[in-house]
Amino acid sequence: MSADVSRRDLLNTAARGTVLAVLGGGAGFLVTKANGQIVWQVDAARCINSRVGETGVPACNLCTTECVVALSAVRAVNDHARCGRCNMCPAYFKITSPVDSHGYPSEKLCPRDAILRRPIGRMDPEDPANNFYEYLIDEAKCDGCGKCVMQCKDPLGLGSITLRVRYDICKNCNRCAISTACPRNAVLELPRDQAI
Amino acid sequence: MSRRRGAWIAGSMVALCVAILLADYIVASPKSTTAARLARKSRDNVVAWVLIAGAGAFLVCAKSAWGRVSYAPRAGRSSPQPPYQTVAGYQPAPPPAELDLAFIEEAIARLGRGKESTIPLLQAIQSHYRYLPDDALRRLCELTDITPAEIAGTSSFYARFRRSPAGEHIVRVCHGTACHVSGARQITDELRRYLAIPGGADTDPARRFTLDEVACLGCCSLAPVLMVDGRPAGKLTPASACAALRELS
Amino acid sequence: MKGKGWQFLACALLLLPWVRILPAQTVPYQRPVETAPQPDSIGGGYRIPVVQKPLPRAYWLQILDVALLAAAMGVSIWLVLARRSRKWLVGLSIASLAYFGFYREGCICPIGSIQNVTVALIDPKYSIPIVVTATFILPLVAALFFGRAFCGGVCALGAIQELVVIRPVQVPRRLDRALGLLKYVYLGLAIAYAVKPALIRNFLICRFDPFVGIFRRTGPPHMLIIGGLFLAAGMFVGRPYCRWLCPYGGLLAWCTRLARRGVTITPGPELDCGLCIDACPYGAIEKMRAVGRNCLYCARCYDSCPKHRQLVRIS
Repeated sequence: MSADVSRRDLLNTAARGTVLAVLGGGAGFLVTKANGQIVWQVDAARCINSRVGETGVPACNLCTTECVVALSAVRAVNDHARCGRCNMCPAYFKITSPVDSHGYPSEKLCPRDAILRRPIGRMDPEDPANNFYEYLIDEAKCDGCGKCVMQCKDPLGLGSITLRVRYDICKNCNRCAISTACPRNAVLELPRDQAI
Repeated sequence: MSRRRGAWIAGSMVALCVAILLADYIVASPKSTTAARLARKSRDNVVAWVLIAGAGAFLVCAKSAWGRVSYAPRAGRSSPQPPYQTVAGYQPAPPPAELDLAFIEEAIARLGRGKESTIPLLQAIQSHYRYLPDDALRRLCELTDITPAEIAGTSSFYARFRRSPAGEHIVRVCHGTACHVSGARQITDELRRYLAIPGGADTDPARRFTLDEVACLGCCSLAPVLMVDGRPAGKLTPASACAALRELS
Repeated sequence: MKGKGWQFLACALLLLPWVRILPAQTVPYQRPVETAPQPDSIGGGYRIPVVQKPLPRAYWLQILDVALLAAAMGVSIWLVLARRSRKWLVGLSIASLAYFGFYREGCICPIGSIQNVTVALIDPKYSIPIVVTATFILPLVAALFFGRAFCGGVCALGAIQELVVIRPVQVPRRLDRALGLLKYVYLGLAIAYAVKPALIRNFLICRFDPFVGIFRRTGPPHMLIIGGLFLAAGMFVGRPYCRWLCPYGGLLAWCTRLARRGVTITPGPELDCGLCIDACPYGAIEKMRAVGRNCLYCARCYDSCPKHRQLVRIS
């Protein structure tokens, strides 16, 4: 009888050890070969709003409406290295709106008033068209609607504003809801070190 | 009753919050402008926290109102205050000085004078006086052939014969197998505390109850069981045993 | 004559909307620069600001989550196997629900990590952080030695169901075992859908998780409705998701078969009195002994054991 019990114990221990080894092996493989974080990011080359060639269409705002976070994790980001710093920024001003007394369009493009405009450098009052302005997007207000992105690209702008996923807000869902909805498959999952 | 009312109130609050959230979802378009989305989200957040708090309150009230009680009794549950004061330095009240011994002659005449009538005579005396008074036994020896030694032996052998006065009501707590594993010991201990029965005795100072531990009473599915004057009470906890004493006496 | 005046007014009124939409003096726009102006042409000492790259959640916080998971499982094992106290276990359940459920919003959880681990093993382009691997492995290792300690007070989904159990009925054994097979079906489906190519990959467990919508206080309607129904049913049938649908519970049940120490209802030799059978709402007591693979570490059986009450004598 005691031999039976010890045999059962031995089998039990052996099976447990085997399962532990399998789990350990799997964990080891995952930690060494498949270690890293996958994040979601918008591909500017495919996104309707930033892709050169798609003009005259309304800005796609699926990034705003589909994100599971209330204020979307996708925000417009201005790449200052490429920004034209134009006096009459088409992303800041709504250039189809009537002109006011100062010669600027009376309405702003951003529905949430998230773009801040401040003059920089040497200001020449006689030559207003060649004064430069820095355009900073207040990310606390931006909801990623893409209107500014659509305006700031060929032929009106230099394409410095793009939509980007912000990782401090993005919950990094296994399956991004925006990615499911995007008509151009522009939201892709990338390894963290490759994502901007 | 207040727990039930609390459960109903909390439950209706939960239902109201669910209705608000559903209405918010159905009536407002889910993908409206960002400002509307944010406002709806903060509103829904508040309602959701109220819902969670209400659900917590509902669960607490519902558990104590309708929750399933564990089947077996628990030791150490708080019991009601004993109505009988524990007296320090308790001395049992002496038996009544005058005893009417006429019954003994009548019993002897009915049951006989010989040694073979010992047990019937003792049973008759016990059922009349509720115990075996010393004076009655002395009288018995005088009037019959039974020796005091035989009376002492017989009356001390059988547990049913008692030499000290019993209380008005006999409480028999079953200590049979099923009742034993169901906590009959806890019931007995609690009753002894409740009645303030001093250690070593089996009757409370006011002589209302005599506590007896007996073998199986035959209602094992109602374990643990006690009997007060032949009337059983089952499925006891220490608290409900004390309540049963009050009801059945 | 009268008619002509009205006709003129009518035409004017008809033309009015058309007059309004003609743009009035909008800007004729031309792009002023072809390339971005550099600091030397801007002047005034301007420096081009760097684009912010906000960081996700700090790494030490993720490590803390894993450490808390391990600690909570250790506490659960100690409370149920050594201390044998249900009261403290309820406290642990509430703490787990508050932290892993409402604060961390149910993500990352070991149940969903099955999918991530499977994909990482199959797809060379997919990778997962070490914390996800640890979250997957730790409860399984605990189960290999002690049984479903994770289900006891640690899993947030289990905790929320545990706290709503009010008046459970005993489900007939055959029905219980038959329904228990559903969790392996779910496990198989979850793995099958997760190993599909990246664009059509479907994370079923995340999409149909009943309680994460409640933890986040938002979500698609189907998740919230399923969650509400599970909680309402859970008041009368103990922990239906944990017993019959949880795919990770299926894995834990397999590991528990090899466990050496599980729940023993009596602290000493068994009385075989059978008083505990009614106490277990999850059908984990068969033939008067606890069955490890169904035991969800709720510690209710101790309260009904006469030997246990002797051990915890309160006089």
